[in-house]
Amino acid sequence: MTDALLQVAHAPLTAIALTLAAFVFALWLYRRTGWLVLQPVLITMLLIIAGIRLLQLDYAAYREAVVPIAWLLGPTTVALAVPLYRNLRRIRANLWPVMVTLLVGGIAIVAITLLTAGLLGADLPVLMTLVTKSVTMPIAMPLAEQLGGLAALAAVLVMLTGVLGTVMLPPLLKLTGVVHPAARGMAYGMNAHAVGTARALEEGDECAAFAALAMGALGVLTALLLPAAVIGWRWLGALG
Amino acid sequence: MLKGLLLLVVMQAMGALLQALWLPMLPAPVIGLLLLALLVLLGRIPESLEQASAALLGYLPLMLAIPATGIVLGGDVLLAQLPAIGAGLVVSLLLCIPLCGVLMQRLMAGQREDD
Repeated sequence: MTDALLQVAHAPLTAIALTLAAFVFALWLYRRTGWLVLQPVLITMLLIIAGIRLLQLDYAAYREAVVPIAWLLGPTTVALAVPLYRNLRRIRANLWPVMVTLLVGGIAIVAITLLTAGLLGADLPVLMTLVTKSVTMPIAMPLAEQLGGLAALAAVLVMLTGVLGTVMLPPLLKLTGVVHPAARGMAYGMNAHAVGTARALEEGDECAAFAALAMGALGVLTALLLPAAVIGWRWLGALG
Repeated sequence: MLKGLLLLVVMQAMGALLQALWLPMLPAPVIGLLLLALLVLLGRIPESLEQASAALLGYLPLMLAIPATGIVLGGDVLLAQLPAIGAGLVVSLLLCIPLCGVLMQRLMAGQREDD
C-alpha cells in the first residue's frame, strides 16, 4: 500500500499536478486579496518548494518532470512581440525618450547596485552577479557566468529583483506621480523585467508593450555593453 | 491557436539557429521575439497568433515560477552575503524606479511641447 503511494507521489504526473495546483491557488489568492506582496510568481515558487520538500522529491527529477510546462517559457517570450507590435506607433513616436530612459536608467541601475553592495563588502563574484539582476533570466544566467559571477545565484537575484520590484513599483510610481502607461511600462520592464511585465499586462496593452520593450531592450543592451565595460575596466586596472 | 503556437515555436527555433551561428550572448527566445516583430511588421498579426499569444501570456507567472524554484540551489551564497546583496537590490530599486518613470514621463511631455 505505502509502496504504491510512494510510486505515485514520485511519478512525473505528481510534479506537474503540484505545479499547476500551486499556480491555481496563488492566482486565486492574489485576485482574492489584491495584495501586491502576494505576487503569483513568488507564491507559486514557495508552494512548489514546500511541495518538493513535503513529498521528498529529488529537485533535478522535479525539473525533469515539469519540462512539459517549463518549455513554454520560450514561445511565451517570443509572444511578447504581439503587444509590442500593437503599440508600434506609440513606441515609434516616443523613440527618443525610450532610448534616453534606457541608457540613463540602465547605467544608474548597474552603478547604484554595485556602489551599495560594494560599500557593504560584497565580494567580486557576487558583484559580477549583481550587475545582471535587472536583466531577464535567460540573459542574466549566461551573462553572469561570462563576467565571472555565479549563474545559480544570478537566477535567485533576478527573481528577487523581479518580485521585490513589482511590489515596490506601484507605490513608488504613485508617490512620484508617474501616471502615463508608457512611463509606467518602462519603469516596470527596466526594474522588474518579466515579473514586472506580467504585472504590466494587468494594467493594459500600452503599459505591457513598453514593459516588454524595456525588458527586451535593456537585456540586449546589457548583454552587449556590459562585457565590454568589464573588459575595459580590467584593462584600465592592469595599466594603473 | 495551434498555428499561432507553431509560428512562435518556429521563431524560437530560428532564434536558436542564429544564436548558435552568430549571437552567443543573446538567448534564443529573445532573438525569436525580434524575428517575430520583424515578420509581423511585413503584414498583420493572424488571428491564430493573437489567440496563442494571449493564452500563453496569461500563464507567464507560472512559467517564471518554475526556474525560480532554482533558489534552492543558489541559496548558500545569498545567505552568506545577505546584507550587501539585499541593500544593493533595495537601494537601486528605491532610486531607479522613480528615475525611470519620471524621466520617461518628462521626456515624453517635453517632446509633445516641441511638436
